Formats: sequence, C-alpha cells, structure tokens
Amino acid sequence: MFSLRSTFLHFLCAGLLLGLSAAAAASGPGLTLPPEGVPVDAELVTVRSPYVNIYTGPGRGYPIFHVAEYGEKLWLLKRRTDWVKVTARRDKTGWVRIADLQEIYGEDGELVRVPLPDFSDLDTQHFHLGFSYGDFAGASSMGATLGYRFTPNLSVELRATQAVGDFSDSQTYQVAVLHQPFPRWKLSPYFMLGTGINITSPNATIVATEDRRDTAMLTGLGVKTYLSRRFALRAEYANHYLLTSRENNQEIVEWKLGFDVYL
Amino acid sequence: MEARFRRLPLETISQLLRVRQAAFGGARRPHVRQCTLRRLRSGDHHLAPARYAVKPFLAAAAFLFAAGAQAQDDVLGDIVSPDLERREIREAKLDSENIEISTFGGVINVEDFGSNTLYGGALAYHINEDVFMEAAYGETELGESSFERLSGSAPLLTDEQRQLSYYNLSLGWNLFPGEYFIFDDWALNSSLYLIGGVGNTSFADEEHFTYNFGVGARVLANDWLALRLDFRDHIFEHEIFGEAQTTNNLSAQLGFSLFF
Repeated sequence: MFSLRSTFLHFLCAGLLLGLSAAAAASGPGLTLPPEGVPVDAELVTVRSPYVNIYTGPGRGYPIFHVAEYGEKLWLLKRRTDWVKVTARRDKTGWVRIADLQEIYGEDGELVRVPLPDFSDLDTQHFHLGFSYGDFAGASSMGATLGYRFTPNLSVELRATQAVGDFSDSQTYQVAVLHQPFPRWKLSPYFMLGTGINITSPNATIVATEDRRDTAMLTGLGVKTYLSRRFALRAEYANHYLLTSRENNQEIVEWKLGFDVYL
Repeated sequence: MEARFRRLPLETISQLLRVRQAAFGGARRPHVRQCTLRRLRSGDHHLAPARYAVKPFLAAAAFLFAAGAQAQDDVLGDIVSPDLERREIREAKLDSENIEISTFGGVINVEDFGSNTLYGGALAYHINEDVFMEAAYGETELGESSFERLSGSAPLLTDEQRQLSYYNLSLGWNLFPGEYFIFDDWALNSSLYLIGGVGNTSFADEEHFTYNFGVGARVLANDWLALRLDFRDHIFEHEIFGEAQTTNNLSAQLGFSLFF
C-alpha cells in the first residue's frame, strides 16, 4: 500500500516536473517572441550601453517614463525624425533618441545602426527638398526644389517657381545641374546650369494679352550653409535667358533665399 | 587579437620593441614604442594597436628569425598572424514616418467678401522634432461684398471669379511640445506650433502673392493619427476696388492628419 502510494507520488512529481519543464521550454523561446501589438518582423536588439532612456513621445520635452538597462532587449518599431519607437520588456512602449542607440546589437551579435540622413556623409547619394522665397525681376517669387546628389560635388535639381508681379505673373519649371566645388566648406559655393520653360501671363487689367511660353536657359551661382545635420540655408543668384519668338531675347535676374532639407 | 595581447606580459612586448629598435640603429622612431605600450596599458586596443604594432613586429620578427632567436618564435607567430575579425555592422530595418498628410475644414474671412467655408489639405514633412515644412492647398467661395449689397448695382465678380483657391509653402516650428490630460486615463501628446510661409492666392482672374503666418495645435490620438486646429492670417494685396489694398484674411480650421 505504502509503496503504491509512494509510486503514485513519484509519478505525480515526475509528471509535475515534466509539465513544468515543458512550460519552461515553451516560454523559453517565447521570451524573444514579440509581445502583442509588435509586428513579427520587428527588429530585436540588445542594449549594450549602460542604459537607454525611454520617453513618452518623440521629443526632448516628453517625460522619461522607463529606462532600458544594459543587456535588455528592445524591439525597434519605427522611426520619426531623430527618434525610434521601441517596445521594452513588460510591454513598455515609448520613444528613444537615435543618438542613444549607438550600442545596440542584433541577434547574431552584430552592431546595429539606425540610419539617419546626414549631409556630412558625402559619399551617400540622397534627395533633398527645399522651399525658397525671392525676387524675380521685381516680382515676389516662391519656389520648391527637389534635388538628388550623385557625387559629393554634383547634384541635379527639379525647380518650380511662381512669381507674382505688378505687371505679369510667371511660372518657371526647370532642370538644373549644380556643381559644388568645395562640399566640405562651412559656407559652400555652387554653380548652376539648367534649362526649362517660363510661362509669363501679363496682368489682364492692363492690356489683354496672351500667355507666353518660352524656353529658358538658366545660369546661376549660390552659397549653401548647413545649420544642422539635415538643414541647409541657401542664397542664390540666377539668370534666366528667355529664348523668345520676338525680336530680342529676354534676360531675367532672380534672387532667392531658401532652405534645403536632406530626406 | 585582443585575447592574444592580453595573454602576453607587457615586459615581453617591450623587450621585443627594444630588440626592434636596436635592429634599426636606436630610437629612430621612439614614438612607436611609447604609443604602442601606452595603448596596450590603457586597454584601448581593439583595432588601433594592430595598425601600430604589426609592422614593427614584422620587422622584429624578420630580424629575430635571421638571428636565429628560436625561443621567441611561437610568441611572435601568435602576434604576427593577421587574424583580425572585422566588426560587423548592419543597418536596422526600420520604417520611417516623417510625412503627415492632413485634411481640414473651417472658416475663412476674406476682407470685404464675408466669412465663408474653407476646406483643403496639406502635406507636411517633419525635419526634426522641432521643425516641419508644409505645402497646403485650400478652397473657398467668396460672398457678396458690402458694396455690392448696399449699392444694389451689378455684382462686381462673376460666380467663377468668386472661387478662391490658395496654396502655400510654410515652415512650422513646434514651439511647445507637451501633453494634454483628459480625465484620469488619457495623456495625449501634443504640440503648439508657429507656422509661416509664402504662397499664392487665386481669385477674380488674378494671382495674389500671399504671406501667411499663424499658430496651431496638434493633438496626437496615437502615433499616426492627430487632430489639428489651425489659425492663420493670409496677407495679400488686391486691386478689385480700384486701388491697391493690403488685406488680412483670417482663417480658422479644424482637421485631422495621418503620419506615414
């Protein structure tokens, strides 16, 4: 009887142990499975800096509500400006400054870097987007540019400008090549050559005329200065040479002040 | 490489360096020894010592081998063998959400033409936590001016000319980021921003260069959905009543935006 009971107890213990170990085995890999709300393909990294502050929002003003310690695992979810949204253990989700993620390692022990566009990284090719304000032969002008840098010195830009003046309004659409001979200078000059079309519409209240559409040659020079890692101010002088169907070709001088952002 | 440096006593290494110096006729490049030893002592030797130390060691090894210094061979072999492991670096696969698309409705008061319904949309790019750039478009229909109503004469503008549309390029500054607290459970991220820019307003068959500036509040319901309340002044000059006049046209608009 006694032996039977002890056997039964043994079985019970063994069963319990088995069950426990099975549970442990199940929860073992479960630790690295992303928690609920985290996509399966989210990047899993291990913190190897002493600590990482986690903020409630993507900005320095938001409060720090959690700290990820050395050795803790983080799931990287997405990036907004200079911040990354992360989920830490116990479902703590918040935002981490990218500058604080210098020492994070992937599952194979490799260093993981969060890429950030940066103008000083001259060897990478990238897009930039800019707005500008200026003077187009006496008319106020606004412009937008989309550029792509191929080499540290050369970039190509698509440029659109709208100018509104007392006597006529103009729209210009151009493609230009920019050459920056000294891209590392703090105040870096550039030269520009381009071509495009100018559409001029004289103001109807003065005389009834038709819109003119002319091919334009563009030359210009300017200077860029970088205010931050991704933000550059630029000033520009441009000369539009309009190949008109009239007797004389027309020359238009444009001054511009604007900014560029590296995407 | 690191492990091997640690295994070697510093004395052995300094001895080797001395041998190498003798081989080259004294301390012709004394900084080599100092620099190498200093780096070894400070523990700063993941990559740099290899660069500094391997060449002199090679020279030393060649010399010693020629001189038949058999005893040091194993040690040197350990040091010289170039089994540097490169540090593996990978870029994180991360989606970035810097673009905000928004749609809004509201009221715009165009000077002399009454207050009218305004609707439109905007596309913003967030440069950093402080600054964003935005391109916006809006439309409204102008009402009757007081002149038209009081004089009872023929209307100044045709229906088509009363269609006003504008677009602008602006730069916004998130001046006051913070949180709004709603009851006990909700803390919503928010920012109060200043915004200003240039643009174009088109109505009465005319284009009007327009400056705009204003203030707005963005309240984020979650990471990608926000409520926006905006107040703007659109300043432009027109000549509809005969002489040029600068007008301030105020708008208030409420909208929502999506980040992607």
